[in-house]
Order: sequence, then C-alpha cells, then structure tokens
Amino acid sequence: MIPAGLMNLRLIAGFLVAGFLPGAEPLFESSIEPLLRTRCWQCHGEVVQLGRLKLSSREAMLAGGEHGVVIVPGKPEQSRLFRMVAGLEKPTMPMGGVIEAAEVEAVRKWIAEGAVWGNTKVVPAGDWWAFKKPVRPLVPAGLNPVDYLVGRRRGSVAFAGEASRNTLVRRAYLDLIGLPPTPAQVFEFVEDRSTDAWSKLVERLLASPHYGERWGRHWLDLARYADSNGYEHDFDRPNAWRYRDYVISSFNADKPFDRFLVEQLAGDEMDRPTPETLTATGFLRSHAKVGYREKDNPEFRHEYLDDMIATIGRGVMGLTVQCARCHDHKFDPIAQKDYYRLQASLFGYVEVDHALVPSAEHKRLSDSIDARIRPLRMAVREIEAPYRERLLPAKYARFPENVKEAIRTPEAQRTPGQALLANQVIRTTGVSSAEIDRVAVAEDLARKRTLIEQITAIEKERPAPLPVAMGITDGDYRSTPDGPGDEPAPGKGGAQDPDAGPFLHEGPGRYQAPPSYFLIRGDVQSKGPRMEPGFPAVLVDGDVKTAVETASGKTSGRRLALGQWLGSAENPVTARVMVNRIWHHHFGAGIVKSIDNFGKMGDLPSNLELLDWLATEFVRVGWSVKQMHRVILSSATYRMDSRFEDAASAKADARNESLWRFPVHRLEAESVRDSILAAAGTLNAKVGGPAVFPVLQPEVLSAMTHGIWNQDKDGPEVWRRSVYVYRKRGLPFPMFEVFDLPDQNVSCGARNTSTVPTQALTLLNNDFVLSQSKHFGRYLEESRPGDRAGQVELAYLRVLARRPNARELELGVKFLAGQPADAFAHVLLNLNEFVYIQ
Amino acid sequence: MSRGFQSRREMLFSALGGYGGVALSSMLAEGASINARATSVISLFMSGGVSHIDTFDPKPALKKYAGQPLTGRGEVVVRQGHPGPLMPSPFEFHRHGQSGLEVSELFPKMGSHADEFALLRSVYSKSNDHVQAHFAISTGMIRMGFPSLGSWVSYGLGTENKNLPAFVVLYDAHGAPFGGPANWSAGFMPATYQGTVFKASGTPIVDLKPASPGQRERLDLLRELNEMDAAAHPGNTELAARIESYELAYRMQGVAPEAVDVSLESEATRKLYGIDNPVTEPFARQCIMARRLIERGVRMVQLYHGGLGNQNTDTWDAHEDVRSNHTKHAAEVDQPIHALLTDLKARGLLDTTLVTWQGEFGRMPISQRGMGRDHNPGAMSMWMAGAKIKGGQVIGSSDEFGYKAEEQPISIHDLHATMLHLLGLDHTKLTYRFNGRDMRLTDVYGERIPQI
Repeated sequence: MIPAGLMNLRLIAGFLVAGFLPGAEPLFESSIEPLLRTRCWQCHGEVVQLGRLKLSSREAMLAGGEHGVVIVPGKPEQSRLFRMVAGLEKPTMPMGGVIEAAEVEAVRKWIAEGAVWGNTKVVPAGDWWAFKKPVRPLVPAGLNPVDYLVGRRRGSVAFAGEASRNTLVRRAYLDLIGLPPTPAQVFEFVEDRSTDAWSKLVERLLASPHYGERWGRHWLDLARYADSNGYEHDFDRPNAWRYRDYVISSFNADKPFDRFLVEQLAGDEMDRPTPETLTATGFLRSHAKVGYREKDNPEFRHEYLDDMIATIGRGVMGLTVQCARCHDHKFDPIAQKDYYRLQASLFGYVEVDHALVPSAEHKRLSDSIDARIRPLRMAVREIEAPYRERLLPAKYARFPENVKEAIRTPEAQRTPGQALLANQVIRTTGVSSAEIDRVAVAEDLARKRTLIEQITAIEKERPAPLPVAMGITDGDYRSTPDGPGDEPAPGKGGAQDPDAGPFLHEGPGRYQAPPSYFLIRGDVQSKGPRMEPGFPAVLVDGDVKTAVETASGKTSGRRLALGQWLGSAENPVTARVMVNRIWHHHFGAGIVKSIDNFGKMGDLPSNLELLDWLATEFVRVGWSVKQMHRVILSSATYRMDSRFEDAASAKADARNESLWRFPVHRLEAESVRDSILAAAGTLNAKVGGPAVFPVLQPEVLSAMTHGIWNQDKDGPEVWRRSVYVYRKRGLPFPMFEVFDLPDQNVSCGARNTSTVPTQALTLLNNDFVLSQSKHFGRYLEESRPGDRAGQVELAYLRVLARRPNARELELGVKFLAGQPADAFAHVLLNLNEFVYIQ
Repeated sequence: MSRGFQSRREMLFSALGGYGGVALSSMLAEGASINARATSVISLFMSGGVSHIDTFDPKPALKKYAGQPLTGRGEVVVRQGHPGPLMPSPFEFHRHGQSGLEVSELFPKMGSHADEFALLRSVYSKSNDHVQAHFAISTGMIRMGFPSLGSWVSYGLGTENKNLPAFVVLYDAHGAPFGGPANWSAGFMPATYQGTVFKASGTPIVDLKPASPGQRERLDLLRELNEMDAAAHPGNTELAARIESYELAYRMQGVAPEAVDVSLESEATRKLYGIDNPVTEPFARQCIMARRLIERGVRMVQLYHGGLGNQNTDTWDAHEDVRSNHTKHAAEVDQPIHALLTDLKARGLLDTTLVTWQGEFGRMPISQRGMGRDHNPGAMSMWMAGAKIKGGQVIGSSDEFGYKAEEQPISIHDLHATMLHLLGLDHTKLTYRFNGRDMRLTDVYGERIPQI
C-alpha cells in the first residue's frame, strides 16, 4: 500500500502529464466530459451506439438517435438527456448505474448554458514516455555505455569501487546460473591474473546449460507456467514440461528474443513449423484452467482469453491492457476497443496436443487394435445384459415411495414432475460389472473372464503414446470435442452453434476465424459490433498488418501478425520492457521499478537514457539476451562493492536508485534450494525432462484435494534443480512458497521479498535441509578428517565462495569442538550471506 | 511489491519479521478507523454447500408444490445431471428464542443461539462450481490468485501476538476444502500475509518442532556470524529483520504448541465442546483451538468443516441424499459451535470477536437423483454473531422456493465490506498496490449491510 500522501502526489503527476489541472476548469471539462466518459459512452460512444444514439460529440448529440432528439440547448426541461438522468422520464439513465444529485444539476446547468462542447485540453494520449520510441543517447567513444549513463544519473555522489574477486565470482554464478561456484571454480577465477579473467568467467557461465535453467525460470514466472490445471480437479498436464524445456533451451541457445515471441504466439503459423515452434505455443496454454465441463460453460473461454491478454500485456508490452475489458482504461490511453481487437487477434485459438513425430502409422495401429477389441466388448456386454436387467429393480429399493412410484408409472402416464424424477433416477442408477460377477453362474463368469483376458492381451500390443506438446492452433472452438465432465443435457447450455465450422480447418479454402465481438461492460451476453484484429492504437505507428497470410491456410495469421509486431522495434515498448527485466534480475530492481507496468500508474524510469540505450542496443544486436548480459556485466557498475559506505551518498539517494553501490538482494526460492544442494555436493545436474516430485510431509500432502503428487523417494533422482520440481497450482511446493514463490496463476515479473519466521523454521527444521546438512557434514569430515580448521575453511568455500576471516575461523573451530560437522554445515546454510547476493 | 515502493507499513512488517506487534495497529493510516466493533474473526466454513432450505430458510411452498417441476423462472441451470421436481425439506423447523427465528431440527443447539446471531437469507454467489465459489468467499474473486480475507485482515490490522501468525487456518481432519491452499493464499501480497495451517494434533505448524538439543548453540553461532555480516551492510533493514526472524521462530516453537494444546482445557470445557464424543470430537478440537488462538491475539481463524476426503460423504455436498448427508454433518458441528458461542460469551470474547457461519453456496429446491439437491449459488443463508451485532434479526429473503435471493440480495462483496467494517476497516480504502492498480478485497463493488 502506498501512503496516502504519496498516492496523491502520483495522481497529480498523472493529471499534469495529461494536461489537466484540477480546479479552474469550465463545467464541460470538470463535470460533463468525465460523466459522459464514465457513464454514457459505454453504450452511446464511438464503438457502440445503442438506440443509434451517439453522445461523443456535440454534433452527434444534437442529431439524436432512433427515438429522436435528446438535447435542446438552453432548455434542459425539454431535453430528454436531462429528463432521463433526472428520473423525469423512464428509463432512468445511466442504465443500471447511479448518478449523484450534483451531477444531475451539472447536466441541467450545462444544457441551460447552451450545451457548449468545451475545448478539452487533453494532450494527445500518446504523450507519455513509454509510448514514444526510444531515442539512443550519444555515448562518447571509448567509454563503457552503462558506466557512462549510470554516472550521468549519479552525478557527483561518491560510489563504490570494485568488489573482491570472491564476491564477484559468487555474484556472477548466482546471477547467471543460479548456483554457487565450487571451490575449484572459485579459484579458477580468483587466481586467474589475466586481464580478461572476468570476461572469460562471464563467457563460461553464459555457455553453461544451467544458464537457461536460471533465466528461463524468470520467463516461466511471466508465462504463469505450471504442471497442473488448477481449480477443482487440478488435472495433471503430463506434457507441460516440454514447454518449460523449450524456454530453457531457447535461453541457452540465445534465441533472438523477437523470434522467441513469435514462436510462442504463433509457432503453428510460421512458414515451417517445427516440433520446437509447436511446443512454443504452450505459452498460450499456460494459464490456469477449470478443465471440467468447459463446453457447458462457454464463458470460461473469455476468462482464458483475458488471461492471455493480461499476460501478453504485462509480460511483453508492460501495460495493464486487461483493465480495458469492461471500460476504457482509467489511466492509460487504452480503449476498450483496443482490448477487443487484441481479443480478436487471439480468438481463433483452440487447444491441441501437437504431435512431435509423424503419427499416421501410430494411428493406423491404434485403430486396428480398437477394431479387434470392439466385438469382444460387445460379447461381454451380451453376457452381462440379462443379469443387469435382473439386478436393476432392487437398486431402486432405497428410494422413497414417491420416487419408486414415478419409476413404476409407465412413461406415457407420468406427470411432468414424475417424468423429471424418473429420468434423473433411472439415468443415475446402474449395476456394476462387479455386482454382476457376484451372482453370475460359473459358465458365464468363465466366458466373461476369457474375453477380458483376450482384451487385455490385445491392449498390450497398443503402441506407446507418441510424444506430444500441449499447445494451440486456430480452429472453431464451438466444435471442440467433449472433454471431462461435458454432458450436453437439457438446461445445461452448451448447445451447438448452428454456424460452427469444423474444429480444425482442413480446407478447401482458407480458414476463417469465428466471429468475436465487442462486449459491452465486458458482459459475454451483451454483444456490440463484430471486432477485427488489432493492437493498442497508442503503440501503433503507421500502418501495420494485423493478419499475415499463412503458408498452410489453416490458420488466420492473426497471431503471427501480433507476434511479429510485438517482436519488432515498430512498437515502443517490447525492447524496453525486456531490457528492464534483464536489468531487474541483475540488480534486484528495474530501471522502471514497476516491472510489468510502464503505464501512467507505473513508476517513472530512474534513468531513461540508460533504459533507451539498452533498448536500442538490444534491437541493434539482433535481440540477443546474452549480448545484453555481456554489456551489463562488463560494466564497472555491475562489479561494484555492496559494502561501500558513504554518509553523503546515503543521504542524497537513500534508495540507491542511482546505483552508488551494488544492491544486496535475496536469492529466489529456487536458488535457495539449489544452493543448498550445490553446497552439500548432492546436486543432480541433469538438464530437462519430466518433472520430479520431492517428498512432502504427510500433513502438507493432506491439503491436496485433487490431481497428482507422485511423492518420489528422497535421493539423487529428486535432488534436481528446482525448475524441474512439479508445479502444482493447487499445492505450491512449501519450501518455495515460504520464500515468496509468486502465485502460479498470474503472470509475474517481480517477486516479493518478505522475511518471515516460517522461512527460519524451514531452514532450521525442514527434513530436506537437515538431511542435506548431514550429507554436507559427512563430506566435510571425509575431506578433512580430524582437521577442524580445514573443515571450517572448506565449508566457507562451498557455501560462501570465500575463506573465513580470522574471527569466523576461530568461532567455527570452537563450535566444532562441541558439535558435529553437520551442525556447523547447517548453521552456514542459514546465514544471511548464503541467501543473499552481495 | 518492488523495493522502491515499500510503504511505511511494508517496512515495518519487514523489519519486524512480518509478525509485527501491536504498535502497528496504531500506526495504520488509510483503511483503518478507530470504530472497530471487533478485533478478531472466527469463520466457520461448511464446505461443500449447506442447503439453506433444510437449515435456516424454511419453505412451506415446497410442500405445497412438491413433485411439480420448477417453472417460470427461465432456464433452470443445474451443475450435474438432470433437473428434478420441487422437493420439500425432509426436516422440521422450530422457532427459537425471543426472536422466534426458525431453524431446522438439524441444529437444535445452534438454534438456541438464535437471539445472538443475525441471520442473512439473501446471500448469493457467482458460481455453481465448488472451487470458484470457495474462492469467492475466501478472496472475493472466482479466479485463482487473489489475497484471501484473512490476508486483508492481517494486512489491515497486523497482529497482537508477534509469536503467532495473524491468520490461522484449521481444516477438516478428512482433508483440505475444495480449492485447497489457494483459499488462504496471500495472492499478490507478500508471504507474510498468507494463512498458516495449524494441525489439530502434534506440532501445529509444518517445520515447527520443539527446540532440539544443540539448537540454541546453532542459533547463537548463527546470530554472531550474521551480525558481523550485517555490520558490513549498515542501513540494510532486510538483513536485520532476517536476524530477528530467527529469534521469533525460536519463540514460536515454544509458544505455538501451547496455544493449541486442547488437553490444557478443563474437563468441563472439553465436555461442553464434545471432545468426549467421537462424532463431535474432530470439529470440537478445531473450535477449542480457535478460541485459544483468538484469546492469544490471532486476528482471524478460518475453520473448515468438510474436506476431501470423499467428496460425497466428507463434505456437505449432498447430491445423493440430503437427509443422510446433512444429518451426519449437522451432528458433527452443532454441539461444538454451540459450545464455541457459549464459551466466547462466558469469557467476554464474543463482543470483540466476529463469528460467521456459511457454506460456499445454497442448494436447489428441486431434487437430484431422487433424494439429493444440486448446487445453487442463487441463494444461501449465513449468520453472523458477536461483534455487538444485534441478534435475532433476519436480513433479506429468498423467493418462495429458495431458488434465488429476492429481498435485499447480498453479494459476497457486500459481505466482505460488512466484515471489514466491523473490524474498523473501510473496504474502499483498504488497498494494496499491485501492477499499477490499488487492489481491494471488494474489487470495485460492495455495499455494507445496513442492518449490521
């Protein structure tokens, strides 16, 4: 929460930028225009004109609608606009809203004064730094651009010198790969006296397969990635991990960021889709999903689309586009129609599991097995039929008389109520196969068992399922096959739309996306005009293509156009938003602190020149993320000491926004666990593959209501990096949750850092931490048997990448005189210095 | 929340290790007022969906029209299967207390408190899905990812006991409710505000253990080493807070088990709650723990009755047979809830504690599978007691069959606005800035219920 005073300042700043000054405004600006904007234009504005009435200009207002004239300037009592807001004429307007007496009076006065349409001083909506393209600042030749631009912002404030080599090597390892260096890796850098020792270190880390595990994880937060659906059933997503691995390998390969975006939005629409690009479309399926009775609840789809728009808006554009779902954005120039244009860009999507290898032969085999099994199942059913008929009447015995009577009554003679009653009971009462087995005569039972053995034998020939990736493509959602729980029934909705096309387009002709509409107040039932695809107008410069003809013709090319526009310097935000994220992860805070919001309610950049230089550089180097790491890490700014003290600097810039020392920041949840494994020497460094399920305490597991947790055995199989731990929406992994794992259902660019005693309890008492301390302790004893000083030294190197100072050594040796090595290891794993990047 | 925008309260919480002290409540700026009528909340959540027409909302018209289809109200949307005809309640209703409030025979003991609670008969929800309806009650939103009521309360009021979490969750012995931990998540707020699950037996919190031999020595060394590091980073409150959090954790290990140790209660109290009866024992335990926690300054205790388990038998989800399902579960909670209200009153805690009782939605006036009832978010009943609320009053009504809220419909947002108000918090001012917007528990909705 922002203190009220600060909040007001921010609001005033917003108004100033927009050209408003509260106070001395004429009536139209102060009262009428806001009233029209918030209460009238929803239904009588530029986009929608209910009753053919448009109130968005004086001319339109004077022209009236299909029910005639609405204002007579100078004569409020003859003006229906006034009469309807005043309640003198029905229906009272605004429909379904409230209007204050003072507002009614303002309308009266305004019409009485001639209904002057004021000369609003609204500065063009795009007049905000983030909506203008970045301008590359000049940097004198020979200077490091980051240091030069940070220095310009810092001015004369004293700043830190270079941190120690031990601090730097630990910082670089944790920052780039999320693991602390081993003692050998520490010495490799610390003892390398060549002038390019630092850049060699950076290159080693950027080339490590663990780099993608660290930086891919940041992107997965943004993609709200998880391995389960969420909501009630929290169904497993057995193939979700392929998208996770796609992200990791894309970062490892330094895939150009513009291409990375296109693949995720439209990997199926590219000229030559590959298993990799098809897997990428998992981005658009990574939202939480009910996954049950979806067809019976068509409104769910609008929630998922909203989630995609919110994620693309915040994650890629740095804008809260989803705020414009029900009304124009309150603070940013994002119109409600912008929202529905974006929705139209995505609206063709349907969920598919993309086959990653050719599947025709597999299908042929599978179909032939189905064909062989079918008659056997029929035979089983025939054996069971007479028993089923015999056993059924007894199943009705438990019902009260009125139900039995309804069932007894011949169908034609049932009252309407009896018909409902009989229908619901008959449909839900059955005889199970096991019940039949209990009464069947030996001969029937033997025949049935033989048949079932035959079926089981044939099933064994069924080929293993082919690898598939959960993704999306275009199709017609109205023809989606029934999923779990779907049960089209009277009173359930879910009726097929007569205009629906085939689920997936197979030709002839080109695919046409099903229509999508502007929704008044965001209400699925209140359709406005049909929408065409498009992007937020304030970000669009000149003509842009909103659909691209795809090679296959099976999709609309709308997502491809969206991806290409997002992944280009044509819009002013994408490059800035991404370099700001990179900066945020390196320094613990972004140049724009509101990582996901570059709009008017977000923070101003603390150093716009630096942000713009980085953004333009990013585009110049072909959207290479690794190149941005090189640029940032090669600066003296990145190598500053965090321990630097200077009273004047602290006074001038207490928040260290100008970066006069390196900001200490805490490790993320995953890195805490990974660092424990690495320090203990137990980390299983295997990269990629299906998720693992580390052991959960029974009391934690008892909170699980649905879905899976396989509870693997504790051991090397689960001592994998945390990015591979199963992400269950219904049950966040407790150790991550306690260390501020973001909610797995909402796109998140910047995690919270809170400090709570439950974190201390976890690191003090959790079985995993204790058992890792034991491994660590054993390693210390075996490596330096009987040598307490040696054990202390080795432990410090493994945990903190440095040797202990004299006092630390003394304390450690003293402690080991009375306590086992694992106790000492445990203490070090609890140190502040261990969980912070310094 | 990014570092640049830590509010004063954020910094305090951070510096105090999140479980900040009483001092906080006096420093609250926006959102809090001095007119709080209660300082704590016990929420009794009957998970699975209690049928209002079989408990607190008698419908004689159902007897009259029994066996006839429900018509004239538009398309009847059922959650599962096929709609049946109107089905009267198998339970009798009795008048209670001076108010003469009608409560079904399922709750004879709860009924005896009729003059102490305000009964709301026109509450409605937005979803007929268990989980979404749980989230609606817990967070105000049907989607996942938002902070729960308890998070807002602890964010708004802080805690009175820094050795215990401000927001505690006690769920059913059968398992967690529909939707699981998302019901007590802090959403986009820091982890400080999320609900802490207390177990009914053993050590109450995961990873909280009695101090082990040698633990103090470990903590002493840790403290000394951490202080050396903090001295090298002057002015870093995070590092200081983290040092303090270990001392808090150590104290919690001593305090928390005692706070929920039911065996410390007198024999008479244990008997009153029904600890001696295997039917009432599990929920009795939860209710006593709730009282003990409230006594010790915990802000909000969220109890769930009904857990998964077996959805059909272990929750109030009476699709199959409303008589047997509700008879079983009513017997499990009636005595403990009666005891809780009696006990709170006797200890003078009821005046400062808001006690609420509700499910996630009501149930249908028509039958399902012959003897059961399907979900009905159109109408539900709930009651609120304590917090100096005028008891014995009935607020709002549902239509003649109990199908939809009719008179004074009350949304979940209205409910939340009212609950925050009772705690001295204005729901329009209690905001948390997230992603460029001042978020509220009540989103952009919510009107206080005037009678409360």
